[in-house]
Amino acid sequence: MNSISKYQFTALLLITELFCLCCCMGSVSVTTLLGILAGTAIQYLVFVGFAVQGGTLKKWAEFFYLVYAVFCGGALLNSLWQTSSEIYIPYEESGGVMGSIMVAGLIALVCLYASSTGIKSVSRAAVIAAFLALTCLLVDLISAVFNADWENVTRSGRQGLLGELFRGFGLSGSLGGAAVWLGKVRGDKCRAATVFFTAKAAAAAAVFLTVLPVAGGIMTLTEHPVITAAQLSQPFEAQRIDSIFLVVFSVLAVFSVTLQVMTGAYLLEAIIPRFQRWRSLTVTAMMIGAAFIIGSRELSGLRACAAFAALIVAPLGAKRSAAESSG
Amino acid sequence: MEKKQLLSSLDRSIDEIRRISGGSSDVLINRFVTGGIHCALLCCEGMVSTSVITELIFEPITDIPQQKDAHRLFHHINEELLLSTDRPEVGDYDELFRLMNSGFAVLLAEGMDYGLAFGVQGYNTRGVQEPLGEGNIMGAHEGFTETVRTNMSQIRRRIKSPELVMELSKKGDKSGTDICLCYMKDRVPKALMEKIRRSLDDVELEAILTTGYLRPFVENGSFELFDSTGTTERPDVLSSKLIEGRVALLVDGVPYAIVIPHLFCESFQTLDDYAYKPYYATFIRWLKYAAFLAAVLLPSFYVAIVMYHPELLNSTLFMLLVEAEKKAPLSIVTEAVFVLLMYEIIREAGVRLPKPVGGAVSIISGLIIGDAAVNSGLVSTPLLTMTALAVLGGLVVPELNPQVTVLRFAFLAAGGALGLFGISLLACAVLVNICATEDYGFPYMAPLSPFRKKGMGDTAVRSGIKKLQNRGFTVEEYHE
Repeated sequence: MNSISKYQFTALLLITELFCLCCCMGSVSVTTLLGILAGTAIQYLVFVGFAVQGGTLKKWAEFFYLVYAVFCGGALLNSLWQTSSEIYIPYEESGGVMGSIMVAGLIALVCLYASSTGIKSVSRAAVIAAFLALTCLLVDLISAVFNADWENVTRSGRQGLLGELFRGFGLSGSLGGAAVWLGKVRGDKCRAATVFFTAKAAAAAAVFLTVLPVAGGIMTLTEHPVITAAQLSQPFEAQRIDSIFLVVFSVLAVFSVTLQVMTGAYLLEAIIPRFQRWRSLTVTAMMIGAAFIIGSRELSGLRACAAFAALIVAPLGAKRSAAESSG
Repeated sequence: MEKKQLLSSLDRSIDEIRRISGGSSDVLINRFVTGGIHCALLCCEGMVSTSVITELIFEPITDIPQQKDAHRLFHHINEELLLSTDRPEVGDYDELFRLMNSGFAVLLAEGMDYGLAFGVQGYNTRGVQEPLGEGNIMGAHEGFTETVRTNMSQIRRRIKSPELVMELSKKGDKSGTDICLCYMKDRVPKALMEKIRRSLDDVELEAILTTGYLRPFVENGSFELFDSTGTTERPDVLSSKLIEGRVALLVDGVPYAIVIPHLFCESFQTLDDYAYKPYYATFIRWLKYAAFLAAVLLPSFYVAIVMYHPELLNSTLFMLLVEAEKKAPLSIVTEAVFVLLMYEIIREAGVRLPKPVGGAVSIISGLIIGDAAVNSGLVSTPLLTMTALAVLGGLVVPELNPQVTVLRFAFLAAGGALGLFGISLLACAVLVNICATEDYGFPYMAPLSPFRKKGMGDTAVRSGIKKLQNRGFTVEEYHE
């Protein structure tokens, strides 16, 4: 049976959330963290309502999430290209468009293979990947604490709480995946939602509370604060360890895009049952296409709106479970 | 061969046997008269023990008093003589040849349309010896042999419980190889046994000469880098697996047993782990995990760091590597591939060559090629050190050697082409492949993923025996 445990569900989605945090652009402050935490709380409440309804979707909702998965996948690939100026991937920067295509193509290839093995194996792998990624990220960020200035934590941001809440929604790339895969979770779905949103809040808090003291002083100069914080990690005098961040970053990127490919492919099959053989490839091609269309456009507003819509669609587009309809 | 019934005429029956065997020289037909009835004792030369056949068959049979007919003769033999413990009746020629070629002597009598077979096996077999591939310091020094019945007895000696079931069957149209399915009937679900039996029903091979012929039938059909079934040549290891609710397949002629299912973490466990104190066993286990990772990743990390990420090195190490690589005429990737290929060629030569020549291979490879390669500047010393460490790491987990070898080259190519990014991408693909590996619903990566806290007591650490005794573990806990 293609069901997953609540921890596998959490790991699968948490990876996407961590990747979105790593690619987060612009200056951040403690208000950003509060905005993300408030957004997570709202998302949790809505998803608990969705979980109570059984966690399965109507056809129109499936179509919406298919479009959302393609958009998110494209946005994730785009984030990967945008961070290439700060993260060194051989041949990527020097290759121009061809370099970007090569990197996207390689990631797509791994994603295609991963999605062909099914949700069970990807979610099992996601648990190990999430554990390794969190460990490496912690090592990298804790090393950065050597250069930390704790006064930076209280430094005020440029936006208010509402603005940061909206921004936090834009950083939530896994809402579509959560809505689609919650129905596949074994056992109590409300508990699965609780575990995931708690882990998401904890991970965001851990990342931001490390980033703020390290990169807070140069926040106005930095484009990607999380990556900058990792780059400032120099626990030894003549040795940098931020290349390790590249390993974490790549793993997070692969699993994030794989989640979107799998979500899209699953929904495509649900909408058009005959279309089975090339569904993963079609979704991947659409995602790469979407990434090129997005290009260098600033999409944080659109992403936040899309995430908000994804949140609303989940309870509205939920099928009533047999238990609920009977009484 | 057709299942033709035995003929009641002894002469015609013997003619038929000669026709079927094509007059093969090793089919021995001894005609004699006992109890006033014409009889023939058939056996296959070299498959029976001459002394046993003389003592247990010929001597008692020739003393039989006069009998009315062949029916009375067979009744007398069956009821009053204890010739052999294993005495099946033979009804057709197919069965007759199968038993004869398995070391039975078959008695035919004039007027009888069936024969009596006596188990008097006496073929030469290798004795029980210490296993070569699974070394052990503190445990037993007995390994499986090529005779399936000896192997069955070795397991039975260790598990005397009546719950241990051994089902013998034959596979291979031409080889007629004995296959023994072993399991503890109180630990293995009936549904799983049915599935395994159904998988074995698909075997339509002409001969089964090694475990590798059967493993694909009991493994998942999809592309898997790692084996979801294991093998062992140790009866004590197999006994522990059976007690944990696994199923074993013994194949006649092969000193290995197939274990179903097999888990990734088991490749790092040895029987010695349970003989040492838990802290030391845990240390050894983590050493093996590290050795496995080093075996797969060390050359690729070296190449990736030196080529693309030198900032990971401190200045002293960096200068040392620069100095060493400056003199090497080949690129680092070519150099690494060259060294690894050289090792694989030497290893393969060492395995296939006769033992007396093996020493010469070591001298040529170690002294002449290795020393000359470094002195001539063809290979840098740091790279050679890294490769040697990786190779040594692979030897710590011999069971995973084929996978380690291939993955080492794959990661080297990925690291050489795309640095740490390439290694990460390939690692993701390999990780997904390992996590997709499962057999009959048992995930290969259990208890790591899916995570089972209970299983960690013998995976992340090696808990004390008293603690392990209380957990009452069976592999069924990992089933998904």
